[in-house]
Amino acid sequence: MAMMRINVGPLHPSTHGVLRLVVDVDGDTIMNVEPHIGFLHRGVEKLCETRMYMQNPSYFEKLDYIAPMSWQELYVASVEQAMGVQVKEAAQYARVILLEFQRIANHLLWTGTMANDIGQMFTIFMWCFRERDKVLKLLEDVTGGRMFYLNMRLGGIQRPLPPDFKDRAYALADYLEKKVREYPDVLDANSVFMERMRGVGAISKEDAINYGVTGPVLRAAGVEEDVRRSSPYYVYDKMDFRIPTGRNGDCYDRYRVRYEEMLQSIRIIRQALDTLPDGDMVGAPIKLIGPPAKPDIVVARRELPKGEGLIYMVPDKQRPYRISLRAPGFVNLAALPKMAVGAKFADLFAIFGSLDIIFGETDR
Amino acid sequence: MKARGFNYLVKITAVDYTSYVELVYILYNLSTKAQEIVKVKLQPNGMEVETVMPIFSAADWYERELSEMFGIRIKGRNARRLLLEEWDGVDAPLMKSFVWGTDYKRQS
Repeated sequence: MAMMRINVGPLHPSTHGVLRLVVDVDGDTIMNVEPHIGFLHRGVEKLCETRMYMQNPSYFEKLDYIAPMSWQELYVASVEQAMGVQVKEAAQYARVILLEFQRIANHLLWTGTMANDIGQMFTIFMWCFRERDKVLKLLEDVTGGRMFYLNMRLGGIQRPLPPDFKDRAYALADYLEKKVREYPDVLDANSVFMERMRGVGAISKEDAINYGVTGPVLRAAGVEEDVRRSSPYYVYDKMDFRIPTGRNGDCYDRYRVRYEEMLQSIRIIRQALDTLPDGDMVGAPIKLIGPPAKPDIVVARRELPKGEGLIYMVPDKQRPYRISLRAPGFVNLAALPKMAVGAKFADLFAIFGSLDIIFGETDR
Repeated sequence: MKARGFNYLVKITAVDYTSYVELVYILYNLSTKAQEIVKVKLQPNGMEVETVMPIFSAADWYERELSEMFGIRIKGRNARRLLLEEWDGVDAPLMKSFVWGTDYKRQS
């Protein structure tokens, strides 16, 4: 049979962002995939060079609008590094708690939409969104924003945690653990879900490293790499948690890794709440960087929910001279052809969905 | 570098210091968890550099992004389209000579 070229998009297969895929198929088998990105390009790196330090965090929130706090925190951390600011101890715990809640919210949304994408319609989607909403409600009560938080300040957070925060966070952690543990009963027991996930879009350990994929996609391929462990920031070195890894690097392992990560995040939240010290956690607004503290370059790394995020910044006094972002979605999408070639056309969307790509950070 | 265990390419980026352009390769060693930054200085007229694609497949999109955003010619890459859709590659927007906010007219 002759080769056929199919154009997918420009549209997101699950409509959160815009992507165009040009797919060459032979019958039902994918021979080549060429992702075309850039529909959401707004030149964030150039834009940041023209804005003062304190004007930039809101751009970073829009990079990943599913988990905005993580990118915002990474930016503020890189400015803190440039200014030589120490984060207050209580604020370190508070940041860890909020970031882990953010990670759970991200993985919940992924689980729901992933199941939706491959035809396990609505039950699990509704469950995930029910749980995610409770997380967002807590974050809203802490920060004042439901979707976009802008709550990181130099050396701390915007305002102290509310007085009933501890009780509510404990209760929410218990609730989430109970509910998240129910998901495999619906997903792993569903033969349609398993058939469409297991053995689909596998990438070997060597290829995963060579293509530079990060986050759950890398860990599903069996590489134990997590920035929270390999270069711990804040109080992650005091926390006891496991880095879940997969064996086959297929879609099912990616789901499993994210599921385990949610449970590990709950563990981290509980430990951080147990040891949360009293004390001031309010930070200062971001100001100019004075000459004595200004280093030549700043490299900040964080484990974002979607993978490793990195900021390479050349700081200047008023505004960054150059700021360069390493977005996990960008590298994971670049490896899509490697995973999809040889698979069936219908599996393309399962593979794409399993990468957890967000176009705000991919196109920048 | 790869022989020394730096088997993971984190990022390739560039900084325009107006008198020269600095290429930055951020490498990572997955077993020792060490990070290393390699910098290459380029003269701003006629910038070109060898591709690292044969060593790291991860370089693919980064190198395309570099030629698009900085106008750096990557030797050893066949002339594929640039990275972002609908981008003609005439200007180099991340160079400091491209002033943000000026009226940009597409040459077509």
